Amino acid sequence: MRTIGYERPETLDAAIAAYSGSGSGSRYIAGGTTLYDLMKLGVETPTHLIDITAIANLDRIETEGDVTRFGTMALMSDVAETPAIRTEYPVLSESLLKAASQQLRNMATVGGNLLQRTRCPYFRAGNGVYPCNKRQPGSGCAALGGLDRSQAVLGASGSCNAVSPGDWPVALLALDARVEIIGIDGQRTLPLDGLYRLPAERPEADHNLNPGDIIIGITVPKTAAGRASTYHKIRDRESFAFALASAAVAMEIEGAVVRDVRIALGGVATLPWRARQAESVIVGRTLTRELAVEAGRAAFQDARPGRHNRFKIDLGVQVVADALMIAAGRNVR
Amino acid sequence: MSRQPFPDLARIDAFDKVQGKTKYSSDVPFPDLLHAMTVPATIGKGMVTSIDVEHALAVPGVVRVLTPHDTPPPPPGPQGSPPPPPMLVHAIAYRGQPVALVVAETLEAAIEGAEAVRVSYALEPFAVRFEDADAGREDTESPTFGDADAAFATATTRIEAIYTTTANHHNPMELLSTTAVWAGGRLTIYEGTQGSNGLKNTVAQLLQIDRSMVDVISPQIGGGFGQRGEVPRHTAVVAQAARLLRRPVKLVMPRNQIFHNSRFRPHVQHAIKLGADANGKMISAHYDCLQQNSRRGRYRSDWYHAGPCKVYGIENYRGTSGDLRLDTHGPAQMRAPYEHPSAFAFESAVDELAFALGRDPVEFRLAHDTKIDASTGKRLTSRHLNECLTRGAEQFGWTGRPVQPGTLKAADGTMAGWGVGAGVYQAAMHPAIATLRVSANGVTRYASAGHEMGQGMRTAIAQVLIAGLRIDPARLTILIGDTTVAPQHSTAGSWGTASSVPVAVAAAEKMTAALAELLDGRKVAGNMHEQLARLRRPFIEIEVSMVAPGQGPEHLERLKTGGMAIAGLHGTYPDFTALSYIAHFVEVHVEPHTRRIRVPRVVSVADCGRVISPRTARSQVQGGVVWALGAALREISETDPRYGGWLNADIAEYHVSVNADIGKIDVSFIDEPDFDANSAGVKGIGEIAMVGAAAALANGVFHATGRRLRTLPIRVEHLI
Ligand SMILES: Cc1cc2nc3c(=O)[nH]c(=O)nc-3n(C[C@H](O)[C@H](O)[C@H](O)COP(=O)(O)OP(=O)(O)OC[C@H]3O[C@@H](n4cnc5c(N)ncnc54)[C@H](O)[C@@H]3O)c2cc1C
Ligand code: SF4
Repeated sequence: MRTIGYERPETLDAAIAAYSGSGSGSRYIAGGTTLYDLMKLGVETPTHLIDITAIANLDRIETEGDVTRFGTMALMSDVAETPAIRTEYPVLSESLLKAASQQLRNMATVGGNLLQRTRCPYFRAGNGVYPCNKRQPGSGCAALGGLDRSQAVLGASGSCNAVSPGDWPVALLALDARVEIIGIDGQRTLPLDGLYRLPAERPEADHNLNPGDIIIGITVPKTAAGRASTYHKIRDRESFAFALASAAVAMEIEGAVVRDVRIALGGVATLPWRARQAESVIVGRTLTRELAVEAGRAAFQDARPGRHNRFKIDLGVQVVADALMIAAGRNVR
Repeated sequence: MSRQPFPDLARIDAFDKVQGKTKYSSDVPFPDLLHAMTVPATIGKGMVTSIDVEHALAVPGVVRVLTPHDTPPPPPGPQGSPPPPPMLVHAIAYRGQPVALVVAETLEAAIEGAEAVRVSYALEPFAVRFEDADAGREDTESPTFGDADAAFATATTRIEAIYTTTANHHNPMELLSTTAVWAGGRLTIYEGTQGSNGLKNTVAQLLQIDRSMVDVISPQIGGGFGQRGEVPRHTAVVAQAARLLRRPVKLVMPRNQIFHNSRFRPHVQHAIKLGADANGKMISAHYDCLQQNSRRGRYRSDWYHAGPCKVYGIENYRGTSGDLRLDTHGPAQMRAPYEHPSAFAFESAVDELAFALGRDPVEFRLAHDTKIDASTGKRLTSRHLNECLTRGAEQFGWTGRPVQPGTLKAADGTMAGWGVGAGVYQAAMHPAIATLRVSANGVTRYASAGHEMGQGMRTAIAQVLIAGLRIDPARLTILIGDTTVAPQHSTAGSWGTASSVPVAVAAAEKMTAALAELLDGRKVAGNMHEQLARLRRPFIEIEVSMVAPGQGPEHLERLKTGGMAIAGLHGTYPDFTALSYIAHFVEVHVEPHTRRIRVPRVVSVADCGRVISPRTARSQVQGGVVWALGAALREISETDPRYGGWLNADIAEYHVSVNADIGKIDVSFIDEPDFDANSAGVKGIGEIAMVGAAAALANGVFHATGRRLRTLPIRVEHLI
């Protein structure tokens, strides 16, 4: 049996020290629902696990004030069911409830969620037999020119077109969330869209964290748009499946006019995708279904399909439009 | 037997199951157990040139690595019998084929050892997709009668279309497993199999030992459906490991490898032409099916005709069929193996013809009732398809359904559609020998052929034993799936209840007679156990045997040697044809913009002869409908032609339906016995349950949207 180091520090400093002490084979482990899965698939082969579940106060959900803060260790299920979250940010609650299964949500943390990895079948399957730049840098990409029904139509490069799978990061992106990080060189915060990387170069790196960095929390400003928001997700079955196309929409309507709108896409892009062109189609105008479809088209104007995923563009346009109409409906109170 | 409906008895293993107490084959503990793991080939086709086991043997705990040098080549079987699966060989026929078996003290060491085996190959070109087939089609003679060409020429309304059903994989909860134990010169195999007899024979043949030295015990199966119908390749390899190492060896195959080694439903292309005369009667059918097969596969292409050539009494039928040989493992049985795909195609075509004629699809099917099996000219016994259709239509509220598609629209723009599909399935039966012992101490022991795969066979047998005997039901033990207690026969093809229940009824009758003889007119109080106690008889044991209609003692002999002894294949008996029937009604909703498909409700009415166990019969139909709709909407096994093998080989990426996908499924039964088929009047439910439901869905999608989709699965991309 392969031996593996394991420790369970009780402070952040001890966790970072543990990381520095044990080197690049170390991994932090939170709920383990991504990490253990990837270990079984041979994607991850850590030599040392640093379990961060014993560190105090990392699982707080703070809803007072103008900014809501989620400790990294807050569970997906707890965040989804928090009443203040359901009312202040339906999009967040829905993005969690439409992800994974209740059993997984009871284990998985909202911080670990940000770092889940792609479901690209060539990345996951076959214990490394397929060319995959994410798994084996420089080995090529089997998905380009392969079975690409589930691959990205936005943000792909000539070396990787893997979809960023998470729902929660898409919802957070729509709300201009920030991520609090502590690392070997101290503490910093990043806007969520600064966390993720396009696969243009070094597709093996999904994000901009440094070795040893720990995500400690996520902050989300409270807005009127957040209160009238939704996460709309279309998948191959009603539950327990990743998005074919999804949209997080938050919208504030004043009078008959859209004052503020945020649109982010899931299931179609190589990272959580903010659709700013679509937002600008709508702001300052009166929302109709036609305008919503126009915004949907704008969201996908730069999309480039592969061989089997062209439908994601047509579907994505409609998902954006439907999500806009749902969010608009939530402005009526 | 009385004609009262049977009571709605709970499954006799229900409490054990919900408490996790049920023992499956891999749960049987052995103190000295070794764990095994297979090493799958990582090429699409070729030859193994070397296997480096050094690193694997260096893993602490690994005790041996079996390679092709450690397994004997398959000996020739008796003339005409199919060759057994080879064990480990150097020739790689498909990606994922086991190359070696690592045996270790722990499961972890076995896994690590398997990952450490280094295999070198000489690659060969291969083809895994229909469109890439490198050899021509191989035709198989198929049912043909009347003159379909001439009739088609005179037809006044015709339709012609090609339908496609894609490859699907079994994904039951229980993984494939084998535990092999050599003790006292005997080999015992614990494996969840539907054919303990065949497994016994094949393993004996492969290991070149006498079959009398092999016992097979299949205590419970966590999902059969044909996946456990044939002997998997690994079974004899595990037995060989146990023989070489003189310790019990267990293999539980990971799901990803199961995708590559267990049976799957092949990709099939169905080309259909139907013609109707001026009166709207179907007078001609042409049906060609072309399926994928493996290079040496024996899965027959002509059996897709079994249903379509009988269901509507069409007098002129031309069936053709063929194989395209590809580099995969062998496709084989998967619930309603031929009938689910063929009914999708044929019942879609019938719907297209009804629409072309401007006829209601239910009324159109009712007008094609028949008393005769057109393919053989024989009498159809107990055909209640029209009752299924009529009752189903009534329960569904079919009346008033507009013929034009796209007319049932909800306020929010959701398109609704109502579809119907029907089907037939053979009512078959095998001979059986049963022993029954009722003891004074309150215990009853019953042993016969049969396998419990969760379908509820023990519950069905218990129903008739409890009804026919005055015994303590709590202390009734039913032994099946065990070659040491009674001759076993494979359980498949919906012949389980029809084969195991009549003999149980006969056993109960014989026991009652034996006790009456013992009582000799004396009045003794109490149930059978108490009567025996008062008579100071420790027990009575009887044996009964039974054969199917048209069978004789030679079939009992075949049963005793573990052979196949089926009567009623495709429903055909010497004097008649016996079939089960079903009608499914499906309501489909299609979202206006995203075109997401949902199925809020289904009504299914089945004619399966006598319903012995209402609860498990109902759950068979619900499960069949769930599966059919899952296959129609989401299940597909994907293969990349550049690599071979199956890409979405796990249950995260191979989408089966989840609870949230399932609406209301209203199931009912005609419950009319068929005493031609057997003395219990049972026809069979497990397979018919699924037949025609996928077509009902596709026909509903057409009715909702006006789009005729002829390829499964139907997913958002096909409607957006
Ligand atoms: C079958 C299945 C279905 C799923 N379906 C969905 C779905 O539909 N939608 C969806 O969005 N998600 C889905 N998921 C993903 C699931 O949401 C994630 O696995 C989960 O959120 C990860 O959280 P965790 O706490 O278990 O992370 P872990 O597995 O513990 O960690 C994940 C990664 O993050 C790192 N990490 C964890 N915490 C920190 C931290 N604080 N700082 C720095 N690094 C950290 C770990 O080292 C690891 O690399 C599914 C997962 C499974 C297994
Ligand atoms: S798309 Fe990315 S993850 Fe998938 S095979 Fe290509 S490089 Fe690997």
